[in-house]
Amino acid sequence: MVLCLVALLVFAVLSIWSAKYRVLAKEAFGCVAKMVTFKPCDVRLETKIKAKVASKLMIVPALARFFYKYFKALSWAFTIAFFASLAYSAYSIYNLLVFGTCTPGEPCAITGFAGLCILVIEQYAAYAIIAVMIIAVAYFLLKKQKKEK
Amino acid sequence: MNIEKIRADFPVLQKKVDGKQFSYFDSACTTLKPRQVLDAMNAYYTEYTGCAGRSVHKFARRTEEEFAKARSKAAKFINAPPSEIIWTKNTTEAINLVAHGLKFNPGDRIITTNLEHSSGLLPWQAVAEKGAVLDFVLCSKEGEFNPEDFKKKLGRKTRLVSAIHSSNVTATTSPLKEIAKIAHDAGALVLADCAQSVPHFPIDVKSLGIDFLAFSGHKMLGPTGIGCLYGREDLLKKLNPMLLGGETIKDATLQAHVLEDLPDRLEAGIQNYAGAIGLGAAVDYLSGIGMQDIEDYEKNISKALVEGLLAIPQVSLLGPKDFKKRGSLASFSVKGMEPHDIALMLNDRNFFLRSGMHCAYPIHKFLGLPKGSVRASLYLYNSADEVKLFIENLSQIIKTFS
Ligand SMILES: Cc1ncc(COP(=O)(O)O)c(C=O)c1O
Repeated sequence: MVLCLVALLVFAVLSIWSAKYRVLAKEAFGCVAKMVTFKPCDVRLETKIKAKVASKLMIVPALARFFYKYFKALSWAFTIAFFASLAYSAYSIYNLLVFGTCTPGEPCAITGFAGLCILVIEQYAAYAIIAVMIIAVAYFLLKKQKKEK
Repeated sequence: MNIEKIRADFPVLQKKVDGKQFSYFDSACTTLKPRQVLDAMNAYYTEYTGCAGRSVHKFARRTEEEFAKARSKAAKFINAPPSEIIWTKNTTEAINLVAHGLKFNPGDRIITTNLEHSSGLLPWQAVAEKGAVLDFVLCSKEGEFNPEDFKKKLGRKTRLVSAIHSSNVTATTSPLKEIAKIAHDAGALVLADCAQSVPHFPIDVKSLGIDFLAFSGHKMLGPTGIGCLYGREDLLKKLNPMLLGGETIKDATLQAHVLEDLPDRLEAGIQNYAGAIGLGAAVDYLSGIGMQDIEDYEKNISKALVEGLLAIPQVSLLGPKDFKKRGSLASFSVKGMEPHDIALMLNDRNFFLRSGMHCAYPIHKFLGLPKGSVRASLYLYNSADEVKLFIENLSQIIKTFS
């Protein structure tokens, strides 16, 4: 259910360029509309995303299985991270416009260019994500090796 | 049966989807259409568009002829006279027509089963809301009926037994002939939902001994929006029309009207001529191949399907394990996976199946499957190679996720 929100935003942006995404954005909008009006949510979009991604991940079966099994938890984590980073970015832009720096009180490396500035602000978050990904890949590789033995 | 020749008749089978071959395993929902059906419908629109039974010009007369021919073909297909065939939109409308048209008194009993499609259940629930009593015969866990169970349910006040002929979930076929005999002995009428049987094996209403029979054109290579209700003439005459309007009356004043004879009185308004003509062409196509040959061929590919599914340990097959007791579809559930997920993953690999409740909620609940099942349904254009490839792909998916 929560993934609808992310899907709506992502597909809405992508649909500016491609008609294919317009269809998905419309579907995501329908799902969000149902969610906010407390009607039973149409689970199809999430089911579709889950099945599609799981299918694509089948080249690494363990990863596909992990994704399929923990899809709900992963989608919540993804949604929270998405909105947290969105809020954080908005906060940075606000600071940049009002104070001329993304992090008031600290010197900002490049204050003149919003996009780069946000990158600087988010670099700690980016490090964290990369670290988690490395751990996950290492975990699956180790598990695979163990199985082959 | 020459499968390559048959496949060549279906324009959609000459196409690729996303640049790849596809396998259509959803014929229990609706079938693909051969060129012959599309051509017959197109001819009505491009060569002689008209209204049957109203105007006197050449196009109207040709429409009337073709429309009448289509009725005769549909009638012959189930060994009924044309006068006992009523055009409907589909099976659903045919059953509703009987449910609406028969007069039930408070306390009259209607017997149906837990294997019914919503189309064969909800119309009777509506009748029950007006005072009739609805009772059910339950099938076994494999979807089979014991005719004795019908006997136990039938009583003096039973007016009608409505039963599914071939199940769209368990692939079983009900012992309709025995059920009809038991019902008639008790003075009740019998309606059979033959949406999944008429397309797959020879049906003879006279030998089955039933009073009403419903089927849809789109499940037997015909177009959507056309179906048939067969009814014994004396019973059809007693049906109260569900719709009134053009063609249903002989005469009208401002206050009243005199109903037309059969079949017109039950076919209100301009009819789906192209649909009926298309269904007539579908009947020609199936009869040209031979229904017995179609049944035999389907048994063969179903055997491969059932055996393939049974060989996957995580799969639970709905219905009997013996392919001889089954029709050409197989519904199944997979341990640890949801039906929609499986269908979507197969869709990614261009295998088109149906997942969910298949409009048959009670039987899925009865079998302990609140999320439904996945269903692969085959027809005369499916090949043994497709089935083999499907089993391979399904096994791979299940091995990864289940
Ligand atoms: C057994 C059975 N009965 C009735 C129907 C309803 O058919 P239609 O939607 O064409 O009216 C179906 C359709 O799937 C069916 O399988």
